[in-house]
Amino acid sequence: MEKQIVETATKTQNYSLEFFGKGSEYFGIMIVNWLLTIITLGLYYPWARAKKLRYIYGQTALNNERFHFSGTGKEMFLGFLKVILLYIVTVFVSALITFVVGPIVGGLFLYLVILAAIPIAVHGSLRYKMSRTSYRSIRLGYRGNRNELVKNFFKWIFFTIITLGIYGSWLAMNLRRFTHRHIRYGDIEFSNDSDGFDWFLLNLKGYFLTIITLGIYMFWWQRDIFNYYWNNLKMKKGEQNITCSSIATGGSFFELLIGNLAIVVFTLGLGLPWAYIRTQKFVCDNVKMEGNINFDKIQQTEEEYTDALGEDAMDFLDIEVS
Amino acid sequence: MNNTIEGRYFDGLSSASKQISILFNDSKNQLCLQTEDGDSLIWYLSDLQVESYDNLLEIRNKNYLDAILKVDDKDFARKFYQAMKKKKAIDIHTRLLSLGFSKISIVAVCVLVSICLMYLYILPPIAENSAALLPESFDNHIGNMVIETILEESKIDVEKTKHLKQFAAELNFGNTKPLEFTVVKSSEVNAFALPNGQIVIYTAILDEMKSYDQLVALLSHEASHVYHRHSIKILSRNLAGYMMISLLFSDVNGIMSLLAKNAQQLHSLSYSREFEEEADEQGLKTLINNNVNPYGMVKLFEQLEKKSKFSVPKIISSHPLTKDRKENMKKIILESDYVVRNDNKLTAIFESLKN
Repeated sequence: MEKQIVETATKTQNYSLEFFGKGSEYFGIMIVNWLLTIITLGLYYPWARAKKLRYIYGQTALNNERFHFSGTGKEMFLGFLKVILLYIVTVFVSALITFVVGPIVGGLFLYLVILAAIPIAVHGSLRYKMSRTSYRSIRLGYRGNRNELVKNFFKWIFFTIITLGIYGSWLAMNLRRFTHRHIRYGDIEFSNDSDGFDWFLLNLKGYFLTIITLGIYMFWWQRDIFNYYWNNLKMKKGEQNITCSSIATGGSFFELLIGNLAIVVFTLGLGLPWAYIRTQKFVCDNVKMEGNINFDKIQQTEEEYTDALGEDAMDFLDIEVS
Repeated sequence: MNNTIEGRYFDGLSSASKQISILFNDSKNQLCLQTEDGDSLIWYLSDLQVESYDNLLEIRNKNYLDAILKVDDKDFARKFYQAMKKKKAIDIHTRLLSLGFSKISIVAVCVLVSICLMYLYILPPIAENSAALLPESFDNHIGNMVIETILEESKIDVEKTKHLKQFAAELNFGNTKPLEFTVVKSSEVNAFALPNGQIVIYTAILDEMKSYDQLVALLSHEASHVYHRHSIKILSRNLAGYMMISLLFSDVNGIMSLLAKNAQQLHSLSYSREFEEEADEQGLKTLINNNVNPYGMVKLFEQLEKKSKFSVPKIISSHPLTKDRKENMKKIILESDYVVRNDNKLTAIFESLKN
């Protein structure tokens, strides 16, 4: 009996990531979204966003089981209202400080709030999006500590400023490591080993080779970025683990990006949904997972979470976290 | 008849999938579920939410957090969708989507066309009327902002500006706002009015003129733009148009940058045809009221038209359809009573402006 357990614990599993979405279906969703958004003078926007996310998640499958996005338009709408309210309060308080103390202090206050809003938005957005993502009835979750992230973020920003932006590479990877390491899927923990120096060299090389080759290297630079992202992502459950890797090549990136450009240009933008679907398919086709975690045996661990604030703060600031 | 079908059930506690048999009772609006272990559950349609992927349905129940029932059965999918539709549990988005591609496209095209019609015919008058609600101080603020940047870039002809001011002082433009006149050294044939009452005349356009009535015509025309607040109306029309377009693409950013951009280019904004005609007609009245020959307006057009054979002067290209406007002027002059008195003072000042 004991021997059997050890065997299942170390047995290598097969994983296949697939994307079933079709451009025509996605186009239909976008058209209906567009119609309802117009008719409601933009108010439908959060619901439209929920529809879009639900389609994309639902068409993504691991080992033939689909993911699910359970967020609703109502949640995101309320989140948006909260962001607007916070924005108004911030502007009002900074105006008050300007009036009472002086414009320098008032301006400084505004900058600090805007700066702090970035990590808070990243935190909130991840917490919301993860809590609304599930697979085989088990939720994902983000357990990072908000204050810790804000504190770290200010530290990283400070280093970035005094190094005239060079530390930006470290900032990006530190943020990635911090956020990924706090993601859970049931009793699986995510981890990430990205390193600022590697990232800096990768981009330095990409930048100069792109210039030297008159832009042609751009596709290989994109490949390096994509591969770096995925090759550093790991999952762990006790002794078991999964490592992710990418098999994307510069040639396949060339095909994807030039193809998307052609689709969008020749359809005057109407082909955008097809380009988006191609990109999603590309990601799923090129990411491979290896390891011995059995996805049939994951326990629900995440508590319910009911704050949609971050999700729209992200939309507001237009930052994408992947 | 036995309607029991097989499905898979995820209980929301672990990721393991369990075989489950489902009995769909549509008269009672419920699903009876039975697991392999013999546990049975009843799911009411009113608690359910469904995602469909072709024949595969993923059913979730708001009372069973995270649990999923997956059924892959064509017959069941159709019957279940019908039942949910009857319960009005299918949202508007899904119902619209189920109309089919061609019907949605037709609706989308209809909406698009009606938006275009609104954009062309309903929006401009609304925007212009709402411009009337803006305070005069707004006109001044915008005008001052623009004049500063323009005068930074170009050279003022101080001598001619002095003469032009004397010239204008002899005339009554019927304006409510005090007018300012400036002559700018430029080879461009152009003149424009800003909402703060600033009227800028380029030296090249003065060179084109043969008699003082043409200059009076030009000044009257520009003064009418100020009187009717045409540039503010155009500004708010452009802004409203942009807001509508940004709504179309669900993009709310950039309205402020548009305001700034438009304000910067205020002097080269092209007025609409009605605005030009309005300014022509009022300008003509000013000519008549000041006992200046109204044909000065016609001669001004002719002079500018002649110039356009060699190069298109900006004032013509942005002031459309000169020929129609000329004919319109002639018609109004024929219908009007007017007295022309040759003003020696204006003639004298005009001569010194021409030097």
